[in-house]
Amino acid sequence: MSNIKIKSKNLDVFYGDKQALFDVNLDLNEKEVTALIGPSGCGKSTFIRCINRMNDVIDICKVTGNIEMDGMDINDKNLDVVALREKVGMVFQKPNPFPKSIYDNISYGPKIHGKGETKSELDQIVENSLKKSALWEEVKDRLDEPGTSLSGGQQQRLCIARAISVNPEVILMDEPCSALDPIATAKIEELIDELKKTYTIVIVTHSMAQAVRVSQKTGFFHLGKLIEVGKTEKIFKNPDNKMTQDYITGRFG
Amino acid sequence: MTKEERLKKRHRAEKRFRFYGLTSIFVALLFVVILVQNIFSKGSSAFKKTVINTEVFFDQELLEIQNGASQEEIMEADFYDIMIENLIKAYPAKDRDEEDELLKLFSGDAEIEIKKAFLNDNNLIGKTITLDLTASDDIDQLHKGNYPRDLPEERRRISDFQLVIYDYFVENKKISKNFNNYFFNNGDSRDPELAGIGGALIGSFYSILICLLLAFPVAVLASIYLEEFAPKNKITDFIEININNLAAVPSIVYGLLALQILLSTIQLPRSTPLVAGITLALMTLPRIIIPCRASLKAVPPSIREGALAVGASKFQSVFHHVVPLALPGTLSGTIIGLAQALGETAPLILIGMVAFVVDIPSSPVDPSSSLPVQVYLWSESAERGFVEKTSATIMMLLTFLIVMNFVAVYLRQKFEKRWN
Repeated sequence: MSNIKIKSKNLDVFYGDKQALFDVNLDLNEKEVTALIGPSGCGKSTFIRCINRMNDVIDICKVTGNIEMDGMDINDKNLDVVALREKVGMVFQKPNPFPKSIYDNISYGPKIHGKGETKSELDQIVENSLKKSALWEEVKDRLDEPGTSLSGGQQQRLCIARAISVNPEVILMDEPCSALDPIATAKIEELIDELKKTYTIVIVTHSMAQAVRVSQKTGFFHLGKLIEVGKTEKIFKNPDNKMTQDYITGRFG
Repeated sequence: MTKEERLKKRHRAEKRFRFYGLTSIFVALLFVVILVQNIFSKGSSAFKKTVINTEVFFDQELLEIQNGASQEEIMEADFYDIMIENLIKAYPAKDRDEEDELLKLFSGDAEIEIKKAFLNDNNLIGKTITLDLTASDDIDQLHKGNYPRDLPEERRRISDFQLVIYDYFVENKKISKNFNNYFFNNGDSRDPELAGIGGALIGSFYSILICLLLAFPVAVLASIYLEEFAPKNKITDFIEININNLAAVPSIVYGLLALQILLSTIQLPRSTPLVAGITLALMTLPRIIIPCRASLKAVPPSIREGALAVGASKFQSVFHHVVPLALPGTLSGTIIGLAQALGETAPLILIGMVAFVVDIPSSPVDPSSSLPVQVYLWSESAERGFVEKTSATIMMLLTFLIVMNFVAVYLRQKFEKRWN
């Protein structure tokens, strides 16, 4: 049994008067992929945005309850979110490279965190990150070109490279393949498989097949509640809950 | 109605609409053409001045200085007699009255022009040189064909005898048109042939510079704070509404404000580019804040999230990513705001820029005019010479405005980044 990396207990999230998450208790295992599935608006994204405190950006958002990473309280008001986000990287639904060169896209994170003092160290970080995200061979000759000139799938891998460039412990992926074609999706999935050796990964997805392919653990959300969580195999073959059964067989959602 | 009839009707409606559209564009263009043609036909002649080719003999007896005199000595020396003696030789006049009429054909600066020639070469005593002396406004306009010479004499400013002299000059090829350096170098003057926009140009330049230095940083910082850092609540909503209202306040109100606060209370020197710049900055502030905030808003939130997600602080995400992306839009908004400020007249009249200023300002605290106010001043003058100068000044002003707008468009297109 692997270690628990992130632990949420009685987690509630409110957007103004509207409650988005109800009493979520979910443990994420270290160096494992956890998939979160569920119909749109069920709170999957809200949940992963609690892990890197991205919800802080939204003024009206309020998070109560407990969420810990390695025993550290993430929700602590005194926690430095900059340090937290250095440990918890994120990849978004739509590829969002900075409108800068491929090199600058990746070197930005290490630069602001003071990693890679010299040019050669930075070069090394950029190369390693791009290799880890399986993009190096495709872009090594054109690191000066804008990141936005890449194809959608390449852009998303660039964003993954950007996330791992600061050497995080956890990577959050919010429907990373929803804007990509099947070939690009396959490449990302392959990549996730590779990355889970080093990182703890949480992926939100609308594709059951993807959840089955990449994850070891799956959580099913519905209307802000975590309905069922367990080993991916079990969830998809023999779920305990009727609602989960209905969702994965496509009877609602 | 059958199907075909209905179809025909729809096609007719489209044709009608095309016709209306083309007509409106044609009317709009027609007005632009009329305006430009009108200004050009009146103003283009102001870039040339009429000069009278005159032989000048530097007679030692009429001058109290020697060859090789120093600059100060020449500046102090009296060249009046030299001027009179040489000018009356330009035409064989019979008596004193005729000589007086002859002298009136030259500008009031003939003495200074002769002095300048001597300043350039202080070895001229005993020598004769030929100088292009500026003609008076009446001869200038006559030579440019703007002056009706077939009027009866009592309704003309030029006498019959002066016309005879003029014809004599033309016949002997002693009169010609040169580039009008006075128009660009001189300050205002009561004599149209000597009046120029030099002072107004410098005054406008200082005013716009002060306006830029004050308005741009304040507007950009205010926009960034309001757009990126300020909490969204009733107070910021109220501020936003008021900024939009400020942009719509008539400019003369800013003039009144400046008159009361800057001139009466703080006692800043009136008629100066300093006060003009501050007034224009107040007016331009909301006009920069609005496009700056719009550019900041146009930066997609995904860029901010991307930066925050790799651990950038709020400040870093704004200043490393959002502001550079919003800069082209902000700059073009600023230039258009400044172009508006450059053409602004009403507030400047209230703070005394409308004064008659001969000297070219050497600093922003010297009394000065500005281009639009100079247009206003000259448009009220009766002399034909000021009519062409008014139009020529408008041409200069329009040139600056068009150039500024082109720069704004260029900046936006060249540096605006595309994102998907």
